[in-house]
Amino acid sequence: MIDIYPSTEAPARRLPQIPWFVMLAMGWIGFVLLVALLADVITPFSYTAMDLKYRLVAPFQTFSHPLGTDELGRDVLSRLIVSIRISLLIAFGATIISAVLGTTLGFLAAHFRGFVEQAVLMLADFQAALPFLILALSVLAFFGNSLPLLIGLMGLYGWERYARIARGLAISASAQGYATAITQLGARPTRVYLRHILPNIASTLIVSMTLVFPEVILLESGLSFLGLGVQPPMTSLGNMVGYGRDYITRAAWIMLAPSTVIVLTTLAVSLVGDWLRDKLDPTLG
Amino acid sequence: MIRFILTRVLRAVITIALVVTFAFVVLRLSGDPATIILGPEAPPDAIAAFRKSWGLDQPVWVQYLDYFAAIFRGDLGVSMRDGRPAFDLVMERIPATLALTLPALMLKLALGIPAGVYAALHQGTAFDRTVMVTAVFGFAIPSFVLALGLVLLFAVTLGWLPSGGRDTVWHALLPIITLGAGGAAALARFTRSAMLEVLGRPYIRTASAKGLPWAAVVRGHALPNAAIPTVTLVGFLVGSLIAGAVVVESVFSWPGVGRLLVVAVANRDLAVVQCILLLVAATMVASNLIVDFLYGVLDPRLRHGAVADA
Repeated sequence: MIDIYPSTEAPARRLPQIPWFVMLAMGWIGFVLLVALLADVITPFSYTAMDLKYRLVAPFQTFSHPLGTDELGRDVLSRLIVSIRISLLIAFGATIISAVLGTTLGFLAAHFRGFVEQAVLMLADFQAALPFLILALSVLAFFGNSLPLLIGLMGLYGWERYARIARGLAISASAQGYATAITQLGARPTRVYLRHILPNIASTLIVSMTLVFPEVILLESGLSFLGLGVQPPMTSLGNMVGYGRDYITRAAWIMLAPSTVIVLTTLAVSLVGDWLRDKLDPTLG
Repeated sequence: MIRFILTRVLRAVITIALVVTFAFVVLRLSGDPATIILGPEAPPDAIAAFRKSWGLDQPVWVQYLDYFAAIFRGDLGVSMRDGRPAFDLVMERIPATLALTLPALMLKLALGIPAGVYAALHQGTAFDRTVMVTAVFGFAIPSFVLALGLVLLFAVTLGWLPSGGRDTVWHALLPIITLGAGGAAALARFTRSAMLEVLGRPYIRTASAKGLPWAAVVRGHALPNAAIPTVTLVGFLVGSLIAGAVVVESVFSWPGVGRLLVVAVANRDLAVVQCILLLVAATMVASNLIVDFLYGVLDPRLRHGAVADA
């Protein structure tokens, strides 16, 4: 009797060694996500509530305002929590839009080749020719500003990277046996690409997402810092820094708290991203 | 080689045409210029007259061609804020921006490339680790946070340097350091990985095996090959000389192109925004084109047409 089914038991794998700073980075990301999810529950005050008796209170002075207040007496901790939620929402939304858009265009280019492929590559050239900040600023100048537009706009950031990766990988995957086999079994192209090729290239795409994500956070906070991103009364991390800049001599804590969160979060995501890249796909630049 | 250059020039021209098309489409999508400029309350015959005088009653493709023609005449519209040609307004600001970005570029090149090369040649040493950690932080700290940190330290706390404006040479110091530091870290990291990649290649082993001194291997074989990807990044840095200081100029109230752009966006001064958009794209495309030609100089394979499309 020939055993045609190879043993399904995988060899006992050791847990991968995770360096301490990556553990720390993962811990911080988890913490920030938790804060964003629970924002409604854990904010001590409404982020717009003013308390004119307690204006410009320094951090660690009163029990009720641990991170101090701004010049309208608004609680810095509460604003920080809501800002984390908004900034992460934009960064997640944008990263997902850009990954879906880029991967779709990459697949289309790989499937149709010819004119479609040239058009996608040309769009990628166009994107590379314009610094994204300039592109974003022009669109905001022409169309005004709103949160959905901002998320959509950020969603254009980095699509060309996914498109390039998805196109290259899909072309080499369709030359492999499994894609041909499925096609010959009569699967439609959407099924081949979504059910068979996508899972095979997912790890590379996920690594690219972790590399694009911190850049989106930096971009959004930059725009909001300039006063052209998230608009008051809504608040985001960059928005808080931009607003706190006016009080840098008297109340530096207003800008220091959100600055610290921006730096730690981008640092954490890019450390995890670099580590994942080294683990999963060292070929990515 | 000629074919290589021609393809690149063609691609550059197409890219510029795409940017112009983008500006046109966005401009048309953003609303009827007649109602924007005359206001929604304007009488219908005034709107009709306006549309006629600006060619807006023509079919879209005629408007599109006119738009191209106007841009090639250098007619980029008039600022809605002070009625002067947008092109002149932008040109006035360029020297101020270059006064920041050129020294910052020098700083990036002078610090980043040697640090990256040295780190790669001494991989795993304390110096290498310092370069890598600095590079990671250089990426994670946004320029406005670094800028405000420097202001807090050197202007507010120590009082050594001014925090904004453009009166003396000292005013340029903090913005230049802000721009240079982040870029130098990124360049060092990139140079290091380009160099490491080259050092792992078989021809390096061959060169050492045939008895060439290590210094000669590095100078003759490693550096020229690592220069090719590095030139791409430097090209990008040169291309962003005009657009790269938007945030930093805003923090330090520096009267450059970036500051002009932010103010124009906030006021929806479309002619100025569009002029800066086209100018930035043109700079970027031109510097990418120069990089492509430099490839030809650096890489003999391209010169002799062995690689058709690198």
